[in-house]
Amino acid sequence: MQSLEVISVNIWDILISLANLLIIFLLFKLFLYKPVRKVLDKRKETIDGQYSAAEEAKQSALADKQAYEIKLKSAEDEADSMIKSAAATADRRSAKIIDDAKEKADGIIRQAHSEVELERKKAADGIKREIADVSALLTEKMLEREINENDHREFIDSFIEGIGEDDVTGD
Amino acid sequence: MKEKSFKFRIIDALLIIGSVLPIAFAIVLRVLTNPEADGIVITGANIFFTVKMPIQDMPITESQVNSWCVIVSLFFICLYLTHGISEKGGLRRQMIAEWIVEKTDDLVKDNMGDFFKSFSPFIAGVLGLSAFSSLITLVGLYPPTSDLNVVAGWALLVFILITYYKLKGGVLGYLKSFTQPFAAFTPFNIISEFATPVSMSFRHYGNILSGSVIAALVAAGLTGVSNMILGRLPGLLGEFPLFRVGIPAVLSLYFDIFSGALQAFIFAMLTMLNISSAFPMDDWLKRMDKKRAKKEKQSNKKSA
Repeated sequence: MQSLEVISVNIWDILISLANLLIIFLLFKLFLYKPVRKVLDKRKETIDGQYSAAEEAKQSALADKQAYEIKLKSAEDEADSMIKSAAATADRRSAKIIDDAKEKADGIIRQAHSEVELERKKAADGIKREIADVSALLTEKMLEREINENDHREFIDSFIEGIGEDDVTGD
Repeated sequence: MKEKSFKFRIIDALLIIGSVLPIAFAIVLRVLTNPEADGIVITGANIFFTVKMPIQDMPITESQVNSWCVIVSLFFICLYLTHGISEKGGLRRQMIAEWIVEKTDDLVKDNMGDFFKSFSPFIAGVLGLSAFSSLITLVGLYPPTSDLNVVAGWALLVFILITYYKLKGGVLGYLKSFTQPFAAFTPFNIISEFATPVSMSFRHYGNILSGSVIAALVAAGLTGVSNMILGRLPGLLGEFPLFRVGIPAVLSLYFDIFSGALQAFIFAMLTMLNISSAFPMDDWLKRMDKKRAKKEKQSNKKSA
């Protein structure tokens, strides 16, 4: 079998070798780099997506937290105001009850007063009548004659009225 | 990772067979066609047949056939590495594939800059083809890289790329660069221009060939020494070249593995550096600006 010289230059062999390098370049590009790059890009995309999703979740969680804090605060405020208003109503109610009680008591006292007055008046009237009767009796006795009781009663009444009145105020 | 399906395993096996078969074929071819050598014979690649072509006949030699075998093998390795890779990963081959892609991307980015990002498959191709072409000596094949024509073809492609990127800065600028720093330097500049691919190809080819030559010489020498010292022993013992066992393996470690990988790396580095340094970025940007301005003017005229 023939063989080439150790140092030999052949233009066609050079071109074949050049084409070989181009072919291996294309093969590497199409069958190694393209699929691997595709996978790497896809992975990067997924990771980016996951990162952004995590970021979004964090943001929404923060927003939720803020909303909850606001809600909690408003709830606290509400409770405060509720307590305050309840206390105010209780105060008002107690005041009203006390007022009512006072009024009632006043009414009772006033009634008692008026009753007492009435009694007194009644008593005074009774006493007046008694006195009139007594004086009439006395006068009758003194004059020793029959006096028309009815004729003198008015006179005696008016007389005693004046005394009674002085008596009552004097009491 | 869920259990691989039967079909997946079958395809895997076929891909592995596909990557091993070309090398096996080359070995068989080598065994069938390699003539038995007497003593030290240092020749180029065996010629299988010659095709009549203009200018020069085209011999189809071992280096061509072995190159093709390496290419087919690498192609199947690529298919194997990317078979069943997914976004989630999990396969060991995916890690290897991603490692290759990321490392070459980083290498290209570090040495050539962002503009040449798309060069990483080319650089990987140079590295892979060169390294595997040298490493097939490990299975006893003729390394295509020890054929000048093969490496010269790669260097020629690199030279074409260098010139292409130099011309991107403008033809006038390219021609003017030969007269730098002054006109008397023109011949030297032209020589240095052509020296780049020549030096690249000769460096690579010479290193691999010298490895083979030294390995052959050492093997022959060790046979001689062994004959001299042990030749007096009777029978088979005297004929057996005992010293050839083991000692050439140490040399092979250097010349076949280390030198092969190193030369591939050097060739790739030189490719990257030469191409990226040939590209006049500033001139190119200026030209692009000018072109854009012209286009805008034209579009303005059209709209007016």
